[in-house]
Amino acid sequence: MEALTDNALMLKVKDNDLDKLGLLFERYKRPLYGFFYGMNKDADLSEDLVQNVFLRILKYRYLFRGEGDFRTWMYHIARNVNHDHFRKNKLKAKDSLEQWQERLGSDENRSTEYQKDEELQLLSMAMDRLPDDKREILLLSKFQDKKYKEIGEILGCSEGAVKVKVFRALQDLKAVYKELEKHM
Amino acid sequence: MSTEKIQELIEKYNAQQADPTEMKLIEKLIEEGLIDIAELQGLQEMEDQLVRMDPPQPSLKLDDTFYHMLAEEKRKGRGFSWKAFFAWPEFAPRLAFASVTLLLGLTAGFFLRAPQPQKDQEIGVLTKEVSDLKEMMMLSLLEKESATDRLKAVSLSEDMGQASQKVTSALLQTLNHDDNVNVRLAALDALKPYSKDSKVREELIRSISKQDSPLVQISLAELMVEMQAKSSVKELEKILHNENTPTDVKKKIRESIAVII
Repeated sequence: MEALTDNALMLKVKDNDLDKLGLLFERYKRPLYGFFYGMNKDADLSEDLVQNVFLRILKYRYLFRGEGDFRTWMYHIARNVNHDHFRKNKLKAKDSLEQWQERLGSDENRSTEYQKDEELQLLSMAMDRLPDDKREILLLSKFQDKKYKEIGEILGCSEGAVKVKVFRALQDLKAVYKELEKHM
Repeated sequence: MSTEKIQELIEKYNAQQADPTEMKLIEKLIEEGLIDIAELQGLQEMEDQLVRMDPPQPSLKLDDTFYHMLAEEKRKGRGFSWKAFFAWPEFAPRLAFASVTLLLGLTAGFFLRAPQPQKDQEIGVLTKEVSDLKEMMMLSLLEKESATDRLKAVSLSEDMGQASQKVTSALLQTLNHDDNVNVRLAALDALKPYSKDSKVREELIRSISKQDSPLVQISLAELMVEMQAKSSVKELEKILHNENTPTDVKKKIRESIAVII
């Protein structure tokens, strides 16, 4: 099964061999969940959004041509799912204090659970303080293995433009990180 | 821009001494691919650390909901839809299967159908039965007292196409012995098609001397001309010699004899 590429699996899904979507789900549920969790810090919501991504993949499987990279196509859908969710819930997004407390609580839990390393914990906190677009580009860079050309396809811009966005986001991250370090 | 100048810029950035204009320039060079982010101090480490950061693990609930959704979708997919039925990749084998089945059915039908000769035989038997029935009816009608019935019987024999010997002999019998002149004339007409039969021919010639009706005599004489029956001359002469024969008839018979000879 390892020999089967993402594209080959997705083409089988397109031909109604739906079981193959299970294999793609196993490969990408964690990075996708990581992407959404990195964006919203809400465990339940992130799981719902991952589910939505696979639902859309199923629904629009006939649009997959196999010419481009599956992962790029999937993150493109993931971005749309994320944007659609926050557009629909614009009003709700004006969070109450309660929600914030909940978020911070779960953030701490996650941090202690997964990032034992103090540096990584600090980095995670720095990430949370970045604006959405900067956090998004860094998460995409992480989960797309720094393939800037493909990220450009997801965002609809050139490879060079992606590099500049990553550079700016990393600059900001570095600054926030240093700031947090001082207070530790 | 020369490599030295670029190197100078990178060093300035790493020493945190780059001003906003120089920062803009660095961005431009990054966009053009002349400066790699890895060359800039602190940024590569930051990015590497980010990659090392383990993504959190989703709960088992996600697996549950996903596989439930997948099973639901598969169940829906199995539901019947005409559009899906005629969708080409799936439809092709169905069409092939249907065509093969149809061909097999036709072939089986071809070999299993009732043998044709038997059917023909049946039809033959039925036709024979019908003509036998007609024959019987005709023979019984000929014995009726009413001249009309006997005429009907004679005309029935004309419908029969190829009449049997039984029919022709019954018609000859009628020609020779019926009381009614019209019936005899009709019988003569009905016999005309069989005049090539040697037996019928012989009987017709022999019948000439037996007739006393001038009409039948003249008709027979005409038929003899048609048949070119030279052997009938003797019989015709018998009528000529008969005293009771009307003059007109004699004249007609003489003409006929002249033609035959």
